[in-house]
Amino acid sequence: MKLLKIKDRHMWTLFVLPGTILLVLVLGFPAFQSILYSIYPEGGGTSYTLNNYSILFSDSVFRQVFGNTVLFVILSVASHLLLGLGVALVLNREIFAKPVFRLIALLPWVVPDVVVGIIWRWMFDPVYGAFNDLLLRIGLISTHVQWLSSPKLALLSVIFVNLWRGFPFVMLILLAGLQSIPRVLYEAAAIDGASRWQLFARITLPSLKKMLVVALALDIVWEVRRFGLIQTMTQGGPGNITEVLSTYIYKQYFQFFRFEYASAVAVIMTAALLMVSLPYIWMISQEE
Amino acid sequence: MVKGFKRKFFSGIEIYGFLILVSIYALLPFIWMLSTSLKTEAEAFRVPPTWIPIKSTLDAYVSMWTKKNFGIYFLNSAVISLATAVLSTFFGALAGYGFSRFVFKGRKFLIGFFLATQMLPGVLLVGPYFKILSKFGLYDTRTGLVIAFLTICLPFSTWMMKGFIDRVPDALDQAALVDGCSRLGVFFRVILPISAPGMVATIIFAFLLAWGDLLWVICLTSTESMVTVTLGIARTVGEFQIIWPMLMAGALMGGMPAIILYLLLQRLLVQGLTAGAVKE
Amino acid sequence: MRWFRISIFAVLFLGIVIGLSTFANAQEKVALRFSDWHLTESPWDKTLADAMALFEKRYPNIKIELEPVSYKDKEPKYTVELAAGKGPDIFHVHAFSLPMFFDKGFAMDLTPFIEKEGGAKYLEAWYPLCMNMMKHKGKVCAMPGDYMSMVLVYNTELFKAAGLDPKKLKTWEEFLEYNIKLTKAPERWGIALPGAKDPGFELRFSPFLWSFGGDYLTPDHKKSVLDSKEAKEAFKFFVELYTKHKVMPPGVTSMNPQDVRTQLAHRKIAWEIGSGWTAPIVNAINPELKAFDVLDAVPLPVKKNKVTTIWLSSWVMSPNTKHPKEAWELMKFITSKEMELNWFVKNRVTSSRKDVSDVAPEILNDKFASVIASQLPYGKVVPQIPQWPEIVDAFTTAVQEAMTEMKPPEKALADAHHRINGILARKK
Repeated sequence: MKLLKIKDRHMWTLFVLPGTILLVLVLGFPAFQSILYSIYPEGGGTSYTLNNYSILFSDSVFRQVFGNTVLFVILSVASHLLLGLGVALVLNREIFAKPVFRLIALLPWVVPDVVVGIIWRWMFDPVYGAFNDLLLRIGLISTHVQWLSSPKLALLSVIFVNLWRGFPFVMLILLAGLQSIPRVLYEAAAIDGASRWQLFARITLPSLKKMLVVALALDIVWEVRRFGLIQTMTQGGPGNITEVLSTYIYKQYFQFFRFEYASAVAVIMTAALLMVSLPYIWMISQEE
Repeated sequence: MVKGFKRKFFSGIEIYGFLILVSIYALLPFIWMLSTSLKTEAEAFRVPPTWIPIKSTLDAYVSMWTKKNFGIYFLNSAVISLATAVLSTFFGALAGYGFSRFVFKGRKFLIGFFLATQMLPGVLLVGPYFKILSKFGLYDTRTGLVIAFLTICLPFSTWMMKGFIDRVPDALDQAALVDGCSRLGVFFRVILPISAPGMVATIIFAFLLAWGDLLWVICLTSTESMVTVTLGIARTVGEFQIIWPMLMAGALMGGMPAIILYLLLQRLLVQGLTAGAVKE
Repeated sequence: MRWFRISIFAVLFLGIVIGLSTFANAQEKVALRFSDWHLTESPWDKTLADAMALFEKRYPNIKIELEPVSYKDKEPKYTVELAAGKGPDIFHVHAFSLPMFFDKGFAMDLTPFIEKEGGAKYLEAWYPLCMNMMKHKGKVCAMPGDYMSMVLVYNTELFKAAGLDPKKLKTWEEFLEYNIKLTKAPERWGIALPGAKDPGFELRFSPFLWSFGGDYLTPDHKKSVLDSKEAKEAFKFFVELYTKHKVMPPGVTSMNPQDVRTQLAHRKIAWEIGSGWTAPIVNAINPELKAFDVLDAVPLPVKKNKVTTIWLSSWVMSPNTKHPKEAWELMKFITSKEMELNWFVKNRVTSSRKDVSDVAPEILNDKFASVIASQLPYGKVVPQIPQWPEIVDAFTTAVQEAMTEMKPPEKALADAHHRINGILARKK
């Protein structure tokens, strides 16, 4: 347990308060206003109502969009963690041209996500896109595939691009985490004759646990907010197959001017996200 | 011995095979971007597409700099992103340290609160945010954007830094305190240097977040003198025309500062001071 | 690690100083903020910059600040600013998004200015249909800009090679036959109509619906009439061009107008539904095609009604402007006869002014503009109600569902019909 000096106990304010004050001051009013908006009647007015919420829950499109979001977030986060962890583990070893590979694995991250969407959308074009052209040339496919307009493939294609764009973040955070696992632990275990898998399961994973939870937590929030990439690639189509909450809110707010309804959707999204996050907030805030 | 060699060799093949596959995946769009950026506008639309430009030209790069005020865009983006990255990492480290080392009432709530501030979508926040900024005369300024990005990055930076600082044994703090160091002294002299890899990750994260944002830049600025690189690139995609070579040239050049930043910091990312210093 | 600390503080300081020292220069001239998505597009950017320079020369007390915004980002930007009591003094939007702007109070009532210019007599220069769309509760709240009808733009060489003459085209049945003959998949398709959720969709789909005798809504805009026999027939005809007859290239549901023009520029399709802007853009995409020579335009086919969609843009003055008098001078300037002709000469968009589009020899002698102008009397506009963007979104969703065979056309259309009725029934 921590040995806190008595005079030291209140020092936490010095560390925690600057950030807290900034967040409360700057975000307090906007957050309050958007929550308030959600209980105004649509089209303005001063009375309060829960009408926006009842519209929302009875809307089949909203339910579909919610489901899409869950699927998108789960698949995105899982694929990010798997690939990110895999690459981080490999790049933590003594390998040839390590700095080069590390830079390559970081590259997708430097492209802003709206630009990623624009570029991949063009690469995915069924007739003159580079992606089909390449796969045809190496013989992996025999006809032009409609990556973004086929109902079966659209969401997966978007997730494929999101994996491309998102794994470097997880990779970097885990790589930084791996750097600080003391080598002596491995050496000691190796002397005891532990297999590679045992080393991974007994030393690497437990030491990375906190970083994994942080990566998981941040990535979930991140993927729920993911907007530019989907908007530029599919705008939610075909039908509503790739419509997720973030694009749905954007559309309701900026295209339909339904400020109040969009706020209600956002409040529901936030509430759902909070519920999902509670376990890892609890986990991360546990004392050692 | 033969067995050992075989095992090593094959695991090597697996690893390099995996790395090469990942590299192809990561690089493919960049190859395409590079190829397109060197094409003429007409060749960019060729069917089937060419991977090696028939006629290479640097026109797209030149146009980005001459027809657009790319120099100003770069300056804006660099100032905004660097300020955001440094400030949010610094305050994130402060808060992360506070959360990591002190037990106080409402700690769990605050940790959750930090993350929860990021759960409301920006679409809703940007309107009220605009009102605040214009009230304080910060609309269409870099400061306004930095404050905006800071509130987005800070919670993430705090969580990341807390994660890294948690792994630094408290014994180090105690030792320094016993030696007569103040808490701030411990933070600056012990914690920050040891968490260098984490800080690098956090700085790059915040830098890229501010660099790549579009919605806030669109809504919180108005004049050409405030345009960022990402906005400049996005504007080459109009409804009535898409200039692919310029878009690709812009995207490639727009990625350079982040790469340079990473190359400058990578030394810290890898070695840190950790492996040797952190011993139980 | 001292450099680390020093650099942290240095950048911290630098960031704040640069941020704070950016602005706040007092200006003697009246500054007007002018925003238009065309400012992000060439050659429009130059045309507008030149025009604004000319304006500044004529009004030395006014300074124009150009604020480019891309086509897709204009609504977010204007909404956020106008709702906060700011916004560019003059900005450009489509006429069909005006009801939403009016509804939220995002447009200045221009009637007092117009009264001073001579009232109804001043407005006589414009087509009545255009002026009507600028009105909100009897007040003129915007001024009309470009005014065009949708026509078929075709590649003369491909038609010649197929032995077809589009000038003889009369009915939609013939239209289908032509397309079947033109399609040589996977080298070439007859036509491509953008199916992405994009303002370009309704411009191109609506003529099918209206020509077949159907419509989206009842005249009072209270109910959907997409359950009519005609609407079903038109919807099915449109969808089957893709699913059954395969005269459209694959992936058309995710194409926007620019993708379609790209296909036209590369001879992947033989024609498309377009307007004045089509030839210049196609020419820019692929100069080798020689679009101005090779392309030509004909009116759309007819079933029950001879009808086409109208494209109309509009200029809005911010209700928050601090300089309404000067803003009105700018408004008058950009909608003047001189400038409207200028826009056509430089950018091929025809005008909402009768004294330009009806008489200017530049327009009457242009092979595209003359066809476009000839169709203006048959032009129809989509319903002018605030819910329209939501309605057309529901409808486009149905088109995509039917075209990608997620639902049979009948089911997709019926679902859209119910959804649209739900949108209209919602209390406003």
